[in-house]
Amino acid sequence: MNSNGEDPAERPQEIRNIINGLERYNPEAATVLEAYLSQQCEQKFCDCNANRALLKLYQLNPDRIKDEVITNILVKAMTQFPSPQFDLALHLLSPSQTSPSARSELSEAVDNLRKLNLQLEGAQYARFWATFESDDIYADLTTDIAGFEEMIRLQIARLVGNSYREISVSLLENWLGLDDEAEVRRFVSETCGWKVAEGGLVQIPKNAENEAKKTEIREDVNIDMFSRVIKRSWEETA
Amino acid sequence: MSNFQNGMAPIRAMEDDSDVEEEALVADYKEQVQYEDGLDDLDTAGGLSMTQQTDDIQSRLAQAAQPLDFSAPLEVKFQSYDAYCSLFHFILNSEGPVDLEPPSYYWAWDVIDEFIYQFNSFSSYRARIARQGNNEEEIQMLKENPNTWGCYSVLNVLYSLIQRSQISEQLAAMKRNEDPMAVAGDYGSKNLYRMLGYFSIIGLLRIHCLMGDFSLALKTLDDIELNKKAMFARVMAAHFTTYYYVGFSYMMMRRYGDAIRMFSHILVYVSRTKNFQKSAQYDSITKKNEQMYALIAICVAFHPTRLDDTIHTALREKYGDQLLKLQKGGPDSLPIFEELFKTACPKFISPVPPDFENPEANIDPIEHHLAIFMDEVKTNMWSPTVKSYLRLYTTMDLKKLAGFLEVKDEELRSWLLVNKQRTKQLRWTENSLLDGELVNVSDLDYAMQNDLIHISEAKVGRKLVDWYLRNLSRTYA
Repeated sequence: MNSNGEDPAERPQEIRNIINGLERYNPEAATVLEAYLSQQCEQKFCDCNANRALLKLYQLNPDRIKDEVITNILVKAMTQFPSPQFDLALHLLSPSQTSPSARSELSEAVDNLRKLNLQLEGAQYARFWATFESDDIYADLTTDIAGFEEMIRLQIARLVGNSYREISVSLLENWLGLDDEAEVRRFVSETCGWKVAEGGLVQIPKNAENEAKKTEIREDVNIDMFSRVIKRSWEETA
Repeated sequence: MSNFQNGMAPIRAMEDDSDVEEEALVADYKEQVQYEDGLDDLDTAGGLSMTQQTDDIQSRLAQAAQPLDFSAPLEVKFQSYDAYCSLFHFILNSEGPVDLEPPSYYWAWDVIDEFIYQFNSFSSYRARIARQGNNEEEIQMLKENPNTWGCYSVLNVLYSLIQRSQISEQLAAMKRNEDPMAVAGDYGSKNLYRMLGYFSIIGLLRIHCLMGDFSLALKTLDDIELNKKAMFARVMAAHFTTYYYVGFSYMMMRRYGDAIRMFSHILVYVSRTKNFQKSAQYDSITKKNEQMYALIAICVAFHPTRLDDTIHTALREKYGDQLLKLQKGGPDSLPIFEELFKTACPKFISPVPPDFENPEANIDPIEHHLAIFMDEVKTNMWSPTVKSYLRLYTTMDLKKLAGFLEVKDEELRSWLLVNKQRTKQLRWTENSLLDGELVNVSDLDYAMQNDLIHISEAKVGRKLVDWYLRNLSRTYA
């Protein structure tokens, strides 16, 4: 897959061997994959593919499950929004451990993360930050992931840049979860390289996504498409 | 942060509805069916002497490919598991490769298919008994044998067959246009092992999908090229099953364009071969056929696209009303998505034994996967509405549109962002099934200048080649 959250360049050989071979079924491999997850959390990269191998081991060996590993995997997957990564991880969890009706600590945590993820997937960024600030539980759940808020903020900014040519500072303030306009101005100019014009409008330079250019889709015609007709007429005359 | 400014130019996905591949397959299949008919005649002629010589192992091979009665008692299911274990043990762990010819070219498929089917239905059965919690005798039996039809042993069988037969190495050699026999080894050069190994790969695709690991499911097919030269194409049921599971996995990975491509391919193929299918074989795939139409309806709702004419007509016949509601989106579409998903999804299983002590804690895995899928459906449900309005304008004020739609400005901003973000999809071009290029799959594009929406619609030029070829072949025929 293209997205680097699936197969990142940082993945070491040892991990590659595990997930590409039968070693991925060895319950002992869980320890290695857990250590690798901690590394991802500290070094701000994400390997959803390897993390799914870990979830799979948990799926087959429920006695090995560590709650905080599951929630960390989910939070890492969440930072890849919008993408199917979070859902792909959820599919590997056991329904009885994660359904809200199970009322375990884990199922409540998963339910909370799912809510957060839905807001990111649904591009409800202001609501995401409001939820995130609303309860200490979210800070607890994301505490192991270095730079979580920063990664989310950067991704939102990137997505805004793909859709907007101009956007008001006040809107961005809500979407980026920043405290005041001065912070927004600093963030957009220093991190994104965007300018703020008179009247509080952030100017986003043209890129391939925010242009909405007119295009015409033409049919691609090549000789191969006719090969059978030609072959047939050839055979019939021969 | 240079990627803020200069991304790659968006690539417009080209529709690939050339059906050259399908036609070639149909021709192949026709030939093969006729050939097989010939074989049947031979069989009946020489049948007597063959049956007289039937020895124990041949009957065990044949038995392994026989469907187990659905209502077979638990004991029989246990016995069947033991029979498979001893047969596979014999095949895998005898001294050197066993010298046996498979009874037919589709025998290996039938065995793996039946093996997985029994595993699947056993797991579902066990979960149901646990949920109902009132059949003490069977609960006791199941509790005492947690490893019967266990996930690890089923996976073990499939992986061992793959390894023994060196089938991955053989397929890789074939991809390089080299002789597979050079890397096949003692086991893999024998038909029995090669076929079992090959169909075990497809078996794995299925098992991973049943357990909700959709990306691993697609990854297992890395060595197999989906084209008419593929070995599975010779066995109709294998061909059919492969495309169903690949298509389903793509759908769950939000690669709707790729899913539609898979379903369309196999449905076109089935519709063209049905006239010379043997009726029994055809009946058995009718149900999966219907399921795939339901899945196509779901995918088309997410990703509107032009379908093959045959499929489009059949889809409107079978799911016309539902499709209209799906395409309209909004809350009214949600029950339809649920209904179609439930009728068309595989029978998901939980890989570990259920909790017999707490019957209510055992949730049906289908509900689990459905709920996750529905999250994405809900996120996207306003896209059809947004698109239908945007199509009418070249520029539009956000506040005005929010007024039309009777929603808050902030709500509409989210809808616009969601719809725009989802037009980017991975689409397969070559190599592994998981590979792909990020393409723009919509003909509608827009960008926001604060509260002003700029809209552009891609014009689709007329498509003539397909029309031309179709009519040309009609005049020939």
